[in-house]
Amino acid sequence: MTTQLDEQTERADAPEPAAPPRAPRITPVEWLRTPRPPLRLSRPVSLALGAAGVVALAIVPFVNPSWINLHVALVLIFAIVAMGLNLLVGMGGQVSLGHAAFFAVGAYTTAVVGAAGVPAVATLPLAGAVAFAIGWLFGIPALRLQGLQLGLVTLALALVTPPAIRQLDEITRGSRGIGIDGDPPAGVPLDQDQWVYLLALLVFVLAWVVTARMARGRIGRAFVAIRDAELVAETLGVAVQRTKVRLFATSAAYAGVGGGLYAMLLEFIGPENFGLTLSISFITMIVVGGIATVPGAVLGAAFVQAVPAIAGEIDPAAAGFTYGVVLLLFVFFVPFGLIGVIRGALAPLVDRVPWLRPRRLR
Amino acid sequence: MDLLLQQLVDGVAAGAIYGALALALVLVYRASHTINFAQGEMALLGAYLSWQFVAFGLPLLAALAVSVLACAVLGMGIERVLIRPLAKRNQHLPMIITTLGLMIALNAVIAWVWGHQTREVPPVLGQGAVEVAGAALSRQDLVIIATVLGGAIALAAFFRFTRTGLFMRATVGDTESARLSGVRTGRMLSVGWGLAGGIGAIAGTLIAPELFLQPGMMAPVLIYAFAAATLGGLDSPLGAIVGGIIVGLAENIAGTYVPWIGSEFKQGLALAIILVVLLLRPAGLFGSRKVVRV
Repeated sequence: MTTQLDEQTERADAPEPAAPPRAPRITPVEWLRTPRPPLRLSRPVSLALGAAGVVALAIVPFVNPSWINLHVALVLIFAIVAMGLNLLVGMGGQVSLGHAAFFAVGAYTTAVVGAAGVPAVATLPLAGAVAFAIGWLFGIPALRLQGLQLGLVTLALALVTPPAIRQLDEITRGSRGIGIDGDPPAGVPLDQDQWVYLLALLVFVLAWVVTARMARGRIGRAFVAIRDAELVAETLGVAVQRTKVRLFATSAAYAGVGGGLYAMLLEFIGPENFGLTLSISFITMIVVGGIATVPGAVLGAAFVQAVPAIAGEIDPAAAGFTYGVVLLLFVFFVPFGLIGVIRGALAPLVDRVPWLRPRRLR
Repeated sequence: MDLLLQQLVDGVAAGAIYGALALALVLVYRASHTINFAQGEMALLGAYLSWQFVAFGLPLLAALAVSVLACAVLGMGIERVLIRPLAKRNQHLPMIITTLGLMIALNAVIAWVWGHQTREVPPVLGQGAVEVAGAALSRQDLVIIATVLGGAIALAAFFRFTRTGLFMRATVGDTESARLSGVRTGRMLSVGWGLAGGIGAIAGTLIAPELFLQPGMMAPVLIYAFAAATLGGLDSPLGAIVGGIIVGLAENIAGTYVPWIGSEFKQGLALAIILVVLLLRPAGLFGSRKVVRV
């Protein structure tokens, strides 16, 4: 033991070898904290990667047992919600700590309308539309507020959601919960979990494409302009209030569709499914994955699905503890999320292999 | 009439607790310009510590003192380690996420250490009720009202008559000038968080005998405290207390006389109060208005 210590002190005393005059050394923590631009892959490469990913995901339900399907489908569903939340928080700069409420709205819409005899697939757009409408109504007053106050109101919304579900007993069946028929329509030779999985995959791909296009287009630039300088955006002709409300409602619609799929997947929901923990896990997803990036939402969703399951085996409370500590660690040490780490790790590769990049950058 | 009077008295007692917790929120807001979403859980921790020390055999008041001290130190530590680095860079979203992370981590730790079964914290002056003009006021409610009023007056005196109080006001008013005048502004921010932690511990311990101590106890109280702080104006200590009592009265009266709200959905009322106040009068009753210049 002493020899080891001596060795260490000796090493510390030895003169530092002259540093090469290349790039300045940075500590691992500084490396994690470095902001990074997206990897710019050429179109064929990114299309091929995307197609390969979708095909791989589409094979999953046919080769795996249903409990794996359940987990992967949950990741897809949560990723849909996280993409919407990321639009709001990352691009729009508005905080919502209450997206579990819109998730619940979607889930209950699917459940209630489905029980009335509407086929399950048709309930999904409806779940999105109802969440959109409620998000719009809630957004009109709430979005007059700046970040901090909006956080306050939406956290209150998250806390009120389970009691509100219990209170609306006649529609929601209160604490007794409500069953949903998630079976595929007659003639589709799939199990329930495979069917909902493929439905979730379809919505997921759709959400990815729509989100990426929206982020790059005119409306995405309006969001960013409002986030960075609201008054300037207004003088440049952006209808600030309307754009904000639309953004909030759109992200609520993502949560609503996600909620609908969630209800179909679990086939039974109750007020306890939509507590504060759910809202916080949505926030955890975008913080862990990387704020304002589309792939980050997926990484975050996978993280949130995997880690508490592992931590929960130690103690039920460990899952909540993990969420909290992970949030703190990421805020301080990995502010750009897992996607920032991946970009940092892959950027040298993309730099070295010219055909990975678009033609004009080679 | 008796029922109304009873509701008013109960409302004031409940409102005093919301006011105390709102006061803690306001102190933190003034110090760091953020809302401490973990405030409810810090109060919960205070209540559990009090219970634990009573279980170890300390008398209740001594247990309360130890728990207040512990929570004050915790508050100062949180400010120093987690909040100050972010506040320096003026990053709002990370600050919100940090206090949110603290909230869920603290709650999980509490559930881990003490479990989910309910514990009984003894009331300060024992069981029983006192008759006040035809309404029954439990001894604990009496203690709550007296403590919160006394505490509020003590705090007002602290801000008005002591050096530290003056320095704190100076720091909140204009940090840069205060720093140049030799005030250790960073320490003043810590004191704000420490006071908030201590007040939270008192509020948690006093409300625990009435709500049954368990890890989910503070979430509804926190939402009323949000409403109280919003109503009073986020940067006004007096507003927090007044806001708390108004919210307590509104909650009790609505819960009794509006059948649809009942006892289950009173929290929805808090959300409604927050929304309405922010719409009609964003600075609250006593808060200062913000002017934006470009």
